[in-house]
Amino acid sequence: MTTALQPFGFDTDSFEAFLAQRAEPDWLLSMRRQSWDTYSKLAWPTRDHEEWIRTDIRTFRIENFRPPIQAPPASVAPPGLLTREVELAGACVSINSHSTSHWLAPQLASKGVLFGSLPELLADNADRLRPHLERQIVLPGYDKFAALTSAFWIGGQLLFVPRGVRVELPLHSLAALTADGVDLQKTLVILEEGAEATMLSETASLSVDVEAGNVVGSAPAESRGLHAGITEIVQGAGSRLRYVNLQNWGTGVWHFAHQKARLERDAGLQWTLAALGGKTAKVNQQVELAGKRSECQVNGVMFTEGRQHFSYHTLQHHQAPETRSDFLYKSALQDKSRTVWRGMIKVDPAAQKTDGYQRNDNLLLSDTSRADSIPGLEIEADDVRCTHGSTSGNVEEELIFYACSRGLTRREAVRLIVTGFFQQVLDRITIPSVRDALVNAIAQRVREYR
Amino acid sequence: MSEFKVVARRSEIPDPGRKLIEVDGRLVVLCRIGSEVFCLDDVCTHDGGPLGSGELQGYDLICPRHGARFDIRTGCARTMPATESTRTHRVKVEGDQILVQWADDDS
Repeated sequence: MTTALQPFGFDTDSFEAFLAQRAEPDWLLSMRRQSWDTYSKLAWPTRDHEEWIRTDIRTFRIENFRPPIQAPPASVAPPGLLTREVELAGACVSINSHSTSHWLAPQLASKGVLFGSLPELLADNADRLRPHLERQIVLPGYDKFAALTSAFWIGGQLLFVPRGVRVELPLHSLAALTADGVDLQKTLVILEEGAEATMLSETASLSVDVEAGNVVGSAPAESRGLHAGITEIVQGAGSRLRYVNLQNWGTGVWHFAHQKARLERDAGLQWTLAALGGKTAKVNQQVELAGKRSECQVNGVMFTEGRQHFSYHTLQHHQAPETRSDFLYKSALQDKSRTVWRGMIKVDPAAQKTDGYQRNDNLLLSDTSRADSIPGLEIEADDVRCTHGSTSGNVEEELIFYACSRGLTRREAVRLIVTGFFQQVLDRITIPSVRDALVNAIAQRVREYR
Repeated sequence: MSEFKVVARRSEIPDPGRKLIEVDGRLVVLCRIGSEVFCLDDVCTHDGGPLGSGELQGYDLICPRHGARFDIRTGCARTMPATESTRTHRVKVEGDQILVQWADDDS
């Protein structure tokens, strides 16, 4: 009997070797060690846990992946889907967790804006960024994936906009994976009081000619990968953020994400999440409305096919009076794909005059797809308006018949109906390049069903 | 239709009994009753429960979550709350070897 050795896996030796090569301040190394300790103690989530009861990760094996300590096999990635015909104020790219390029308009840098690779910016601004890293609004102990990322994050982006500064043009970040790549990212978006910004963030899987070090296109569908990420958005009083997150990995990638925003008084967040790629995606998205009159609008767009499984758990947490939240998630499913959406509006006793709304609509394009939709309310204040809704259904044959009678083919008719289904959420997205990219990506994916 | 492939040994499975196996990134349950072996998806069609952790009673495999029964020979849902069949795969037994042919090619 021989035992296969797993050198360079996710174990304590590789973690210590990883720390030894990081030139990071002691306080950060200490935080990483605490998180690694948590990671070591926690078990992988099982389906006994309510949050994982519909999401099966028994075929996920961390042993199949290596910490992405080595430099990536390519240094240049093709432009993202969200950047077409968009004038940007800055952009950054990472491949397999490693930053490969970043730039920021000099006039913004001179105003104190920081944007780019988090590890690189941290090296020059450690003391200034320390409170933001120590805040950890995503708790490392939430689950084993959160602990893994908190301990082992290698790459990530930082956007820091100082008090009163308005960033007019969008900033863009692209995180890419190559075959068997691992993306361990920590992303921080910090807007101080009265600041404004738009950030477009997306992911992609790449196929690389290793010898030449060139990207030769998008990765083949079965190309394996792992993303474990943490995104923290912290907005000061009166700040405004538009944040777009497009998950567009290849269909062999495991995607585990914790995303959380905290808003102070009068802050506003418009957050668009689009999910198209990945094999299994488990996402926790939370918004804490911590300051009076803060408000957020969340737009979720999902299109699944093949055997993709997306599980989204959202929380809109009203902690202060007169806060507003409006979550709208729409999914279209084809083939044998599956979505799980579990949303919760939580209203604390102090959060009187809350106005909370959540809605999830699912369009089942095949008989073998499945959508589980579970909205929820937990209200501890007595003067609030909280509503939720959920619909799931097929494309009506009568609609297709009508469209065909006007000269459309069946496929064109279905595509039209699917686009119409998403229109309500697309209309809420105020950035044309994002809207166009999503419409095109969805239209390309719609197949013909009878 | 895919080829038959060796997935397990019959002697690994209690008689009568069941065993959860992972092949080609998919999880299936092998059930054995005497010389007969059956293979079905590890999925309760009611809410995706893990049939591989369920009890085998005669030819019924019982989902541990809500008690839905599936006939291991056909995959048919025999009791509420499941109403749809779970997928079964063709099985051949050669000596001690169990071979399975996937009901479809998409893993």
